[in-house]
Amino acid sequence: MDAVRLEAVTKRFNTLTAVEKLSFSIPEGKVFGLLGPNGAGKTTTLRMLMRVLIPDEGSIEVLGTPADDRTPDAIGYLPEERGLYPRMKIREVLVFLAALKGLTEAEADRGARQWLERLELGEWVNKKINDLSKGMQQKVQFIAAVLHRPPILILDEPFTGLDPVNAGVIKDIMLELRDQGSTIILSTHRMEQVEMMCDSICLIDHGRPILAGELKAIKRSFGKNTVRIEYTGNGQFLDLPHVVERLNRHGAAVDVKLRPGANAQEILKAAVADGVEITRFELVEPPLNDIFIEKVSSTNA
Amino acid sequence: MRKLWLIWKREYLARVRTKAFVISTVMLPLLFVGIIGVMVVLGGRQQGRTPRIAIADWTGTLAPAIRAHLRPRTPESKPVCEIAKTLEGSSLGTDVESEMRAEVREGRLEGFLIVPNNALNGGAAEFHTLNAGDFSLTSSIHQAVNEAVVENRLAQRGIRVQDFNEIMRDVDLKLVRITARGESEEKGQTFIAAAIMAAILYTTLLMYGVFTMRSVLEEKTTRVMEILVSSARPSQILAGKILALASVAFTQYLIWTLSASLFTAYSRVIMASVDATRKIPPIQIPASTLAFLVVFFLTGYLLYASMYAAVGAMVSSEEDAQQLQWPVTLPLIISVMLFNVVVQNPNSNLSVALSMVPFFSPVLMVFRIALQTPPLWQILLSLAILAATAAGIIYGSAKIYRVGILMYGKRPSLMEVFRWLRYT
Repeated sequence: MDAVRLEAVTKRFNTLTAVEKLSFSIPEGKVFGLLGPNGAGKTTTLRMLMRVLIPDEGSIEVLGTPADDRTPDAIGYLPEERGLYPRMKIREVLVFLAALKGLTEAEADRGARQWLERLELGEWVNKKINDLSKGMQQKVQFIAAVLHRPPILILDEPFTGLDPVNAGVIKDIMLELRDQGSTIILSTHRMEQVEMMCDSICLIDHGRPILAGELKAIKRSFGKNTVRIEYTGNGQFLDLPHVVERLNRHGAAVDVKLRPGANAQEILKAAVADGVEITRFELVEPPLNDIFIEKVSSTNA
Repeated sequence: MRKLWLIWKREYLARVRTKAFVISTVMLPLLFVGIIGVMVVLGGRQQGRTPRIAIADWTGTLAPAIRAHLRPRTPESKPVCEIAKTLEGSSLGTDVESEMRAEVREGRLEGFLIVPNNALNGGAAEFHTLNAGDFSLTSSIHQAVNEAVVENRLAQRGIRVQDFNEIMRDVDLKLVRITARGESEEKGQTFIAAAIMAAILYTTLLMYGVFTMRSVLEEKTTRVMEILVSSARPSQILAGKILALASVAFTQYLIWTLSASLFTAYSRVIMASVDATRKIPPIQIPASTLAFLVVFFLTGYLLYASMYAAVGAMVSSEEDAQQLQWPVTLPLIISVMLFNVVVQNPNSNLSVALSMVPFFSPVLMVFRIALQTPPLWQILLSLAILAATAAGIIYGSAKIYRVGILMYGKRPSLMEVFRWLRYT
């Protein structure tokens, strides 16, 4: 069964069409990436899922039934713009938000303590939100999204503001929830996170889907047209305009996107001629980052 | 319904627990009672120490009469002051004054009274003291000198004091208020009660309206709204908030009413202990007037609070809110400025018309009811107009609220807001 299914959903604000004929479906228990440049219509789409906005056309099904006023209770939401009542105690905020989603206050209280303990905030349970650091508030807000054990979890940039340790903890929890059957919708601009976690994606631009499907299949369809190279020495050998379409350096490695029909061996030859030592030379699928840039710039061209 | 209740509860508790609420609700009446108490205790100082004064009488004739008038009227009440010594006669030396001044400085005397030679011909008496603020002492002395002089003048003309008092006795003008329940003596208490009620209405409508606006704005600026709208419908959030603030207002009313009745009882006791002869007619507010006060407050509050909530939803910053709240606050202020018109003739066509205008009626109709109960049909018509207007305004405000709470940045133009009203 699909956890979420959108059929030709359209939403207009006066003359602006924020989302146009958007269709996608997310199988239960999978991580889905909703991607797109700023202003593409991601937030509008998420708000329609949570019934904050009602689509002008098309239909939305959640857990097999058409979306209605009870739908939001099945969804946990971590908005991109974080914020909680600054003068309320952590426990009170969490119990309030979970009770709104349908938990009894006793259940919510027990759950809140367990989660706070797990995220090492146990001693802060009766502190005010104001007294917390940004990172701690971030974690409390994450708890608010998952506390009522929603079958569907929408996370908008879940890792911003978290140190690597905490980001790792949150990532582990997300994968654990997925394994327990939750469906996760991840909206982010960080493509490496998408590659790490998502089973399928939908890339939208100007409210329209421009790329959708299983992540592996998408990457395969773009073919192995990228060479990942690590080397020591002068990088001038990469100055091969008839072979190299684009260079993308990250850290020690450089991703070289090949021109269509170009032979990767020519790069090796050039390196040998320059006397550069190659420590890694691997034909890889294009990074999602490159696919994103290529797709978005080609639709805007 | 459960969500509405949860939102109500959170908002109510958050409000009631704030320092501002505790101070304005509990501390204010306590402070008021405390201040009065301190004033009474300080004012009733004669119960502890009776001030000693001296009299220097150059006329040589007035001193006994002054002394007599300074004695207590009834045996059980405390004397105003004790007369330590009396110097009389036209042969008094000029150094008397400086001697007595020295005694005042040394604290042996509270002050001294000088009655000059020409006191009977209009010359002013003088009371020298360090503490010129002791009003009860100085006014008693003034009265005593006055009466002594007048008696003396009367005696010179051969008129008996009793005859004079008989001739000069005042005629009272009793104000009798005609009400549906009969007649009652009027000593200004009706106007005071009406003015107090209208002032309370105005203050609470304004205060709790602005609270509503702030509360909406706070949820917007802290971005709590982002997560809130994914948990409850905007109409539930708005209704929960408005009802919670109304409940806070009633909590405050209740505490104030209780402390006011306690205060009244308390002040009766104090008054009786100070001066049993002074009587203030008790302010009686009929239960029906109180009921109308509550109904008009509630309906008026729904009208104004939903407008303030819409303003809070439209803006993203406190500064913008300050500017945009003006059109909402203005009718409230105007209704207070119309007090004068209504008080001159509560039943004139103008007063009746003004109390029908929905934005004025919460304050003006209650003011009229308290002054001079208008015909029931007028009250009900005014209430109906108010309720209908409130329903319309709530409907529009809810729409503005729904769109506004998720809009950030630039303040929307009026045209944009009208467009929001058409969104589904």
